[in-house]
Formats: sequence, structure tokens, C-alpha cells
Amino acid sequence: MKSSELAKSLNLTLLVDVESEIHIEGVYIGDLLSIVMAKAKNNYAWITIQTHINIIAVAELLELSCIIIVENMEVDNDTLDKAKELNIPIFKTEKTAYEIACILYDMGIK
Amino acid sequence: MKELSMHILDIVMNSVKAEASLIEIEIEDSIKNNIIRIIIKDNGRGMSEETLNNVTNPFYTTRNTRKVGLGLPMLKEACERCNGNFKIVSEFGKGTMVESFFERNNIDRAPLGSMGVTMMTIINSLDDCELIYNHKTDKNSFQLSTAKIKEILDGIDIKSNDIMLWIKEYVDENIKELY
Repeated sequence: MKSSELAKSLNLTLLVDVESEIHIEGVYIGDLLSIVMAKAKNNYAWITIQTHINIIAVAELLELSCIIIVENMEVDNDTLDKAKELNIPIFKTEKTAYEIACILYDMGIK
Repeated sequence: MKELSMHILDIVMNSVKAEASLIEIEIEDSIKNNIIRIIIKDNGRGMSEETLNNVTNPFYTTRNTRKVGLGLPMLKEACERCNGNFKIVSEFGKGTMVESFFERNNIDRAPLGSMGVTMMTIINSLDDCELIYNHKTDKNSFQLSTAKIKEILDGIDIKSNDIMLWIKEYVDENIKELY
């Protein structure tokens, strides 16, 4: 699906749009980068409150499908710039990680 | 990372890769001053100014196998997350020093973790390199030196299983007594 479509169906703000399609094969929730690095997998959507540029490094390393920033956390500009450069979609929402996870579950990502 | 000791292990591995012959780890844990200060110093090959300016950028790494290097960026982030700070100095051909401060009572400050396990893991990965570890609290201090241990061992391999396990317990017990 297109990042704009995902943004619409989850009611997310699209911070970094990409040309390519997003494939979500799973979801990981976590804020401690080292644990995310060990547990999240290729093509997973990652739900986090972290906004530092290091999250882009983690997403790039694991080839995650997108990052969803929850709790309306302010995202650093260099984080967004790097995400654009590397084609990593970033979304933002005021909802909690749990609420977003529930919506993704209802969408059939299990 | 979940524990500060994991950061220490990670940073020390940079020193090992930089072919240091002496690595010094200093931990100052002061309840009185509400600070944890961790210094990792080596006499390895050091870094050029360009590399040094980029070490906390996760997209800069000296390894060719991976596009990103996260050891130092994650340590810096961990310091800043709990109101501390991070400093690195390095000179080409002389060595590198990484200094990190953490606000001790900050809720986001990770626990130190087992220094015994960390020392065991580090010593087990050292070849032709000595390690000095100093741990200071408000009450007292403790030092571990691989050169001194090797002197006492008189030819027995420091990496043998019994010695490794002894180091782990020796470090953990001594640190417990500093508090």
C-alpha cells in the first residue's frame, strides 16, 4: 500500500512520504534501540516514542517498512531529513502505541 | 541498551579493534554528587579529525560491512536522555578517550548491570592488551588490573575457565562492598 493510504486508514500524519509501496509483515513496539535492533524484523512497522536520528539508523539496518511515532512526540528535523534521504516512511499520531497496535491488528496484521 | 555495562562492553570493543595495548575503564558512582561518570581510555590507533567529528553520527562507520554504526550514538543518546553528557577526545596514533556522565537519580538512567560479567567478557576478548578497571564510590574504591593478575598467575592462562569465573565473582563481590 502507498504511505498516504496507510496514513489515511490509520488516521496518521504523514511526516515522510516515499514513492515505493509499504509492505507490513509484522509490528514491533519498543523504545530501547538495542532491544529493537535485536527483536524487530525486516518489513516490520515500528511503533515508538523515540525521535532521535538513531531511529533511522535502526530502521535502515533492519530494513523496517516504516516508523510510527506515537504520543505526539516532536520529531527532530535531522531525523526527518535522513528518513527522506533513505526512503523510510515516518508517521506521527497523538494516539498511544497500544491504540495503533490495535488498529493494525484489526487491519489484519497479526 | 538496558544496562550501562553493555555500553561499556560495546565501547571497549572499539578500543580492542583500534589495537590498543592498554585499556583503562574508570567508573565514578557518587550518590553524594548524583552522578555516574564512565571513562574509557585507550592507547590504540586513535582517529582522524574527520572520523572524530562523525563518531556520533549513526550513518558514519569505519566498518565496511554495515552502513550504520550505533555504539557511540547510542551511548550519547543514553547520556542525554538522563540529563548527562558525552565527550570524546582522540588523537591519531595516540589513543581515544570516551567520557560519559549520567544523572544518577534520573528515572531514565539505565542500571549499571553486572561489571563482573562485563570484565570477564572483555578480558576474554583481549590479546596482547592489558586492562585497568577502577571503580570509585563515595565510600571506597576498587581496582582490577590484568597485568597484576597475570603476575600472580605466573604463567597460567588468564582466559582459562576457572580464572574467568573467579574474575567475575571477584569483581561483583568487591563492587558490592563499595556501596
